[in-house]
Amino acid sequence: MKMRLRRLTQPLGSVIPTEAPDSGLFARGRQSKAISLIVLILFGILSLRLVQLQVIRGARYARLSESNRIRKILLPASRGRIFDRNGILLADTRPSFTIAVIPTETNDSVLSLLASLIHQPVELLKNRLKPLALFPAPVDICRNVGFITVARIEENNFRLPGVLVRIDPVRNYIYGRLYAHLIGHLGEVNEQELARDSSYRPLDLIGRNGIEASYEKYLRGKNGYQFVEVDVRGREIGPITEKRPELPINGCDIYLSIDHRLQELASELTKNYERAAVVGILIKTGEVLCLFSRPDFDPNIFLAPLDPNIWDSLVKSPSKPFFNRAISSSYPPGSTFKPIVALAALKEGMVTSQTTLNPCTGSLRYGNRTYKCWSVHGKLNLLGAIEQSCNTYFYQLGMRLNLDSLALFCRQLGLGKPTGIDIPGENPGNIPSKEFLDRRYGKGKWTRGVMLNFAIGQGEILVTPLQLAVIYAILANGGWYATPYLVTRIDSLGKTVFQRQPRVYNTALNDLDVQEVKKALTRVVEYGTGRGAYRKEITIAGKTGTAQNPPRPDHSWFVGYAPADSPEVVFAVVVENAGHGGAVAAPIVGELIRAYFSLQPNEN
Amino acid sequence: MKTKDLSLILYTVILIAVGLFAIYSAGGSRYFIKQLLFIPVAFGGLIGAIFLRRHILYGITEIIYLFTLLLLIGVLLLGGGPGARRWFSFGEISFQPSEFAKIATVLMLAKYISYKRSLKLNFNTIALPALIIIIPLFLILIEPDLGSALSLLPAFAAMLYWQGLSPLHILLLFMPLFSFVAGFSLYLWVPFFIILAVIVFLRLPLSRAIIALAVASVFGLLSPVVLSHLKDYQRARVASFFAPWLDPHGLGWNAIQSQIAIGSGRIFGKGYLSGTQKRLGFLPNRHTDFIFSSFAEETGLIGCLVLLGIFTLFLRQILQVAYATRDQEGALICVGFGAIFLYHIFVNIGMLLGLLPITGITLPFISYGGSSLVVSAIMVGIVLNVGLRPE
Repeated sequence: MKMRLRRLTQPLGSVIPTEAPDSGLFARGRQSKAISLIVLILFGILSLRLVQLQVIRGARYARLSESNRIRKILLPASRGRIFDRNGILLADTRPSFTIAVIPTETNDSVLSLLASLIHQPVELLKNRLKPLALFPAPVDICRNVGFITVARIEENNFRLPGVLVRIDPVRNYIYGRLYAHLIGHLGEVNEQELARDSSYRPLDLIGRNGIEASYEKYLRGKNGYQFVEVDVRGREIGPITEKRPELPINGCDIYLSIDHRLQELASELTKNYERAAVVGILIKTGEVLCLFSRPDFDPNIFLAPLDPNIWDSLVKSPSKPFFNRAISSSYPPGSTFKPIVALAALKEGMVTSQTTLNPCTGSLRYGNRTYKCWSVHGKLNLLGAIEQSCNTYFYQLGMRLNLDSLALFCRQLGLGKPTGIDIPGENPGNIPSKEFLDRRYGKGKWTRGVMLNFAIGQGEILVTPLQLAVIYAILANGGWYATPYLVTRIDSLGKTVFQRQPRVYNTALNDLDVQEVKKALTRVVEYGTGRGAYRKEITIAGKTGTAQNPPRPDHSWFVGYAPADSPEVVFAVVVENAGHGGAVAAPIVGELIRAYFSLQPNEN
Repeated sequence: MKTKDLSLILYTVILIAVGLFAIYSAGGSRYFIKQLLFIPVAFGGLIGAIFLRRHILYGITEIIYLFTLLLLIGVLLLGGGPGARRWFSFGEISFQPSEFAKIATVLMLAKYISYKRSLKLNFNTIALPALIIIIPLFLILIEPDLGSALSLLPAFAAMLYWQGLSPLHILLLFMPLFSFVAGFSLYLWVPFFIILAVIVFLRLPLSRAIIALAVASVFGLLSPVVLSHLKDYQRARVASFFAPWLDPHGLGWNAIQSQIAIGSGRIFGKGYLSGTQKRLGFLPNRHTDFIFSSFAEETGLIGCLVLLGIFTLFLRQILQVAYATRDQEGALICVGFGAIFLYHIFVNIGMLLGLLPITGITLPFISYGGSSLVVSAIMVGIVLNVGLRPE
């Protein structure tokens, strides 16, 4: 009954075999045959491959499995090179010896001997190899090994099965300490980095700080591998044909906006001071021409086994040599802040450039405190007050300005936050607001007297040398700026893979106000406090600053741009504990600007 | 009851016995004993599946399917396993729902395509079967277990083909997927597209051929777009997902060692328990996914061909049952199971021979693993059920 019903529901015309005992109601002869054929083809492929491996190549594989081994050899990639803007090579690689151990081919007595040869505690080696005991490929033990150690290992070769010496390309900082902060240095990967990115292996080097860190993925390249056959004594016989070598891809070449000659000059000009920072920027594009921090250190020391004494002296030094003062250290801007206060006052309409306030008598009484000026200036207008850096005039502006609107004005110019330069570690500085002071001193525990200090760039206002250079670039440009950067171009195998496009931002500065302040800045160098920066070849504009740093001596600031009438370049210099800005920092900026223009090719 | 139908039991017993020997040799007595404990369970499942009334099985197919989906979701939320969520663990015993998903999906698919005499490629016919396969496939894929997830696709293709869908239409059905996967590499996609273009222009009306190529292009373009929107680490994850053999730590090492082990067995093998265990010693899964390597090393070409021969007879017998039965749904189940067995055998041995990329996939009856063994035995039991009682 069921059968009949089913038969009736079949579409008409379909062939239904009815009585064949072995074929069912819905026999699929064609499909059966095709599927059988597929099975036979697939199993045929497997059988042919088995014949190839076990018969044709069988003898070879038997030999490989009996006496010989296959070893995976690392073909290390060279880290990318770094050039300055004129193509001067700043960092490349040089050959160095690496000692590696194949855990499956070695034993404890070998490790003890090796440990004594490379002067490392044997426990360290054992701990490193313990989790890799079954790993059949070389594990790096020690990098950048000296020639004498290598010679000793080669001498004891026969007693050291499973120990390999390999020649690796290793980073070479040609100018050493000159670019210690800017380019950064390398260090071994840590646990988190290994966990985050599986392409790193223990003991790999990774960029720390500077260009090395922020452009790690470009500089690193990609290691290659090769499988080679080795005999029982560990001697390499040759590559195997089953797997083609994966060739290394060297890291990209990076071109910096830095001018090596200016960087050298920055180092030279600050060599008599213990702590200083120099920044130079091309104001139209944001290209950083020099970025130097003192004290420095030799980044090459991290590539060899580090001498603990050197490390200790670096870490414990009160001058913190690892600190990139040009971007990571923030200082009160001192009088270099006065043009900004002047612009804020002009914008609020509380003064014009010609407005005179109460004459300077060398000090000003406010509340129950006396605020000092560094000289007796008499009656000055705003421009004169900038030129002579008169505190009294700016104290009076500070009394009138609203703290939060000044803070907002500064933030709009980019203070209080990182500039966005393409290396890590930037300090945002600090622009105090009412809320900040409430938090710091308690609500109502501070007086409007702080505004007098802020108006001359002292107190809790903090800026980095880079930020100040950018602020003066805004002034020099008449209200806009470009984000500062170091890397202009990245090339991979001769092809450009990255080309920087300057990023330009506008600020809401009034052009007329800026023109007035710029006039004053030119007079600062011609007649005022910044005469130390004066160079007869070129008109320089700028501003001195002296950041109070009680109880130690003041920091000396100078920020200047040139040519004053159509600016191209700005330099900011801070010298710690060196006294007045006009005396120490201004001549340094003067020399850098003169050097910059004499370095430019004469177009006529 | 026909005596020749029982040959399937014979093949199964032989394969399980070969597996036990191989597990002892590759994994030692610990795994041997654990596997031995699963054998009664496996035969219990096999015999239970033989005597189960089929109309009851067909009646509860949906319940089995939904229950399996719940297990697959559960394992994603609660499961364990190395670097993935694949297993439920109960002390020493762990259980892999993706294995049971193979049975459930084939049963469900058979039920929903068997009522049509001959399938055509149109939305109404294909949408439901495709959905039935895609849900478990996706859930297994994100465990992630690419190897197991893909085993559902050959079953899908084979069952559609058995039910009358033409090879051309099956190709068209799988074409978007192929195009998407091939799209990750231009060198793969261009030849794929050319072959596809030749086939569709020869076999389809012009307008449909153009539509098919347009669909292929869209899916092919999708993958570079997807890739370019990913962050670096995500891209690396996609690469290791679609191409686990690019693993920077393994880097072909396992594949080469496996080939050396197989090749060094030569024609007659090194003899039982004489394989150089040391060579595969560092492989964590030498008794599971890599077991054929040590089998081949010890038994040589002869042993391998005999094993392949038994597998051939085994698959032929399953196909024979499908051909002979009057129960259309039962026939489809047999074809689906057969395709899954074939996929496992070919992919597992193929990867150890260096023909296919290394993915985690077991060799049925031979590899160590309780879930795999029990599920394989139940599948054989269901096939025997169909073969013994035509209904």
